[in-house]
Amino acid sequence: MSLTGGGLSLAVLGGSCVFLALALAVYALVTGVIGAARRDARLQTSARLAAVAVFLAMTAAIFVMEVALLTDDFSVSYVAQHSRIASPTWVKFVTMWAALEGSILLWGWLLSAYTAALAVTAPNTILRPWALAVMQGVQVFFIGVTALAASPFRLLVDPPLDGPGPNPLLQNHWMMAVHPVLMYLGFVGLTVPFAYAMAALITRQPGVTWMTQTRRWTLTGWGFLSAAIVAGGWWSYEVLGWGGFWAWDPVENVSFLPWLTATAFIHSVQVQERRRMLKGWNLLLVTLTFALTILGTFLTRSGVISSVHAFGNGPVGPLFLGFFLLVVLFSFSLVALRWDQVRDRAELDDPVSREGAILLGNILFLAIAFAVLLGTIFPLIVEALTGDKVTVGAPFFDQVSVPVWLIIFLLMGIGPLLPWRKAEEQSLRRNLAWLAGGALAAGLIAFILGMRLVYPLLTVVVAGWNLVSLALLLHGALAPRLRLSDRSALSVFRQYAFESRRRFGSMIVHLAIIVIALGVMGASAYRIDRQMRFQFGEPVAFRGYTLVATDSFRSQTQGRLSTGAVVEVYRNGDKLATLRPRINVFGANQQSAPTPGVYYTPWHDLYLSIAGDVSEGRQSVVLRVVQSPLVAWIWIGGLVLVFGTIWSLLPGRQRVRRRTTNDGTVRA
Amino acid sequence: MRRGVYIALAAVILAFAGMLIYRALSSSLVYFILPSEYAKSPQQYDDRRLRLGGIVEAGSVDFDTEDLRLTFHVTDSVVTYPVRHFGAPPELFQENTGVVVEGHFEDGVFVSDNLLVKHSEVYQAPEPGEPVNVEALKESLQ
Repeated sequence: MSLTGGGLSLAVLGGSCVFLALALAVYALVTGVIGAARRDARLQTSARLAAVAVFLAMTAAIFVMEVALLTDDFSVSYVAQHSRIASPTWVKFVTMWAALEGSILLWGWLLSAYTAALAVTAPNTILRPWALAVMQGVQVFFIGVTALAASPFRLLVDPPLDGPGPNPLLQNHWMMAVHPVLMYLGFVGLTVPFAYAMAALITRQPGVTWMTQTRRWTLTGWGFLSAAIVAGGWWSYEVLGWGGFWAWDPVENVSFLPWLTATAFIHSVQVQERRRMLKGWNLLLVTLTFALTILGTFLTRSGVISSVHAFGNGPVGPLFLGFFLLVVLFSFSLVALRWDQVRDRAELDDPVSREGAILLGNILFLAIAFAVLLGTIFPLIVEALTGDKVTVGAPFFDQVSVPVWLIIFLLMGIGPLLPWRKAEEQSLRRNLAWLAGGALAAGLIAFILGMRLVYPLLTVVVAGWNLVSLALLLHGALAPRLRLSDRSALSVFRQYAFESRRRFGSMIVHLAIIVIALGVMGASAYRIDRQMRFQFGEPVAFRGYTLVATDSFRSQTQGRLSTGAVVEVYRNGDKLATLRPRINVFGANQQSAPTPGVYYTPWHDLYLSIAGDVSEGRQSVVLRVVQSPLVAWIWIGGLVLVFGTIWSLLPGRQRVRRRTTNDGTVRA
Repeated sequence: MRRGVYIALAAVILAFAGMLIYRALSSSLVYFILPSEYAKSPQQYDDRRLRLGGIVEAGSVDFDTEDLRLTFHVTDSVVTYPVRHFGAPPELFQENTGVVVEGHFEDGVFVSDNLLVKHSEVYQAPEPGEPVNVEALKESLQ
């Protein structure tokens, strides 16, 4: 079905959908606020229906954009600027989020999906209308940016015959189809607890209701964000050709900042639920988390900090900065207005308690976040004050965050073993003895295996500490049940895992964090990175392997020309793999992106990427050869983390607890 | 009473953290400069890691394929410095293009461990005799 021939262009159609969505969102915001303020159920219902309508209009806009991309309709500005006829279909499809305007359209669509889902499923409480109004307010901003400032649907009267295609780095790996979407799902998901927090302040109910109602949303957002960060690391490893996964690049940092504050929030929520403390702290944390997602978008999208991802120096920078300031101003004034309700009545009884550990952990998470934020924006400050152009090197971030992480890992081991309110000395001593034993044993094994660097050794030590902690937690949970039941240990364990999903899920996530920490430790401290020249046919020894570059090759696929080398990997005379590291050139703009050849093993990866020239008729090739110990465990840990998050989110089996109350009745 | 102790403790921790952060930050700042800026005050950048930007001078490139050593001169049309880089020249590396090298100076030679090719469509090399717009060059390499 061709829409372009019939006089109605896709650009006009898509633009109309966005404007319709904007009008509906403004309507939903206004009726929502009036309906909430007047407690008018009809207006509230109308606002909720409008939220669903916004979602439908945004879905239509997304659909039109995808049709335009897949049918190469270059009269649509975004398609003309970022797509190309020769691209494979999947690349055309993901070009939707390969540049600024499309990304914000996608963000707006996901936000409208979350808002509509909230409008349909949220329990009917006093918080709901206000929370929806806040969501609509955020939505008006995002859809407004798409409609008025950064429209992907501008009509080109004189369309080009073909476009340049998306940035080569973005069409080089299927992860680009996944990573940005995960990131936005995370950011947008964390808007929900923010909206409920604001609603709690507006309605003077800063108790625990807003948290219990958003617990699943928060965890979902956090899980997507965690998955997105790990996926981004893997993308970086597989595409950028330097054999690393994290460079403390501004764009990585700004995704990491809300993750840190959201992680702190997930923990401190429990303190408020259990001990009715930290009301104001939690409100500020969730606000900070949301504000940081907006700030991050500003930093990466305005081009103020140049980096791989900072594509586009459009008009959106000031808008996002303005919105960020508005969010901060609005929420902080609300907290100030409601300070009387927010103040804590309870005090910290004893720092050596579950809440004490969580609070200290929170402070440390925020300390890392502060340091990372400072390092990220420091070049801006220096340039504004002195005119000097500086960058903050990766060593800064490592020096500042690694020691703090080690303390967090210590708390992660001891915290869950501590009771609320006050630890009892005897059990505390016994637990600490076990933990220290595990830590020492792990450290000793690492030392015997030849590890001598301080931080890596300490990482192994805290890993041992935490493994023992998880064993103690499981033992503490299962031992009483085993005594009371005659069933097998395995079925008791299964019953526990399915009934106490939150607790067991948190154990899985903590285990995943330790696995990731070990992977990061190995791959950064013991990484070997060399450039070597290979004469074709001549073996070269590298770290117990024998590498033979046998030939160079050229291959042409749809819209892509690859040149590379064929390298055979041997160990002890056995051939293990044939790797084909290559450089890909996309289209006419001659920009290239590497694809490394990686031999994955559980102990270390052997990673080859082309360094220098691989034109035809050469007798040799220069390769960058990287060996990264344990790097695969970062990705495995990421999968385990996602699994643990999903485990916590699934509805648990109801446990039937029979308790006899004082008056003798039996309560289920 | 106890509250005061906590606040004092927090203040001490914060001050200590602030000091650590400040020291780490000042030691890991990497300045981005052009050769002429370095020539003005070399001692200011002693032992510091730098990012040096400029144009690869025509006729100065030499790549030793045996031990993978790349040498060339980087210039901003005012001052020129020799650069020594270990590793193969990246794909788009050629004479008269913009580059940024990262490393430090050793006896007037810049020893680089990271070489980035910067294709600036903005900056046009001056005709002979024309004044050099160093600021525009620096902006285009950032």
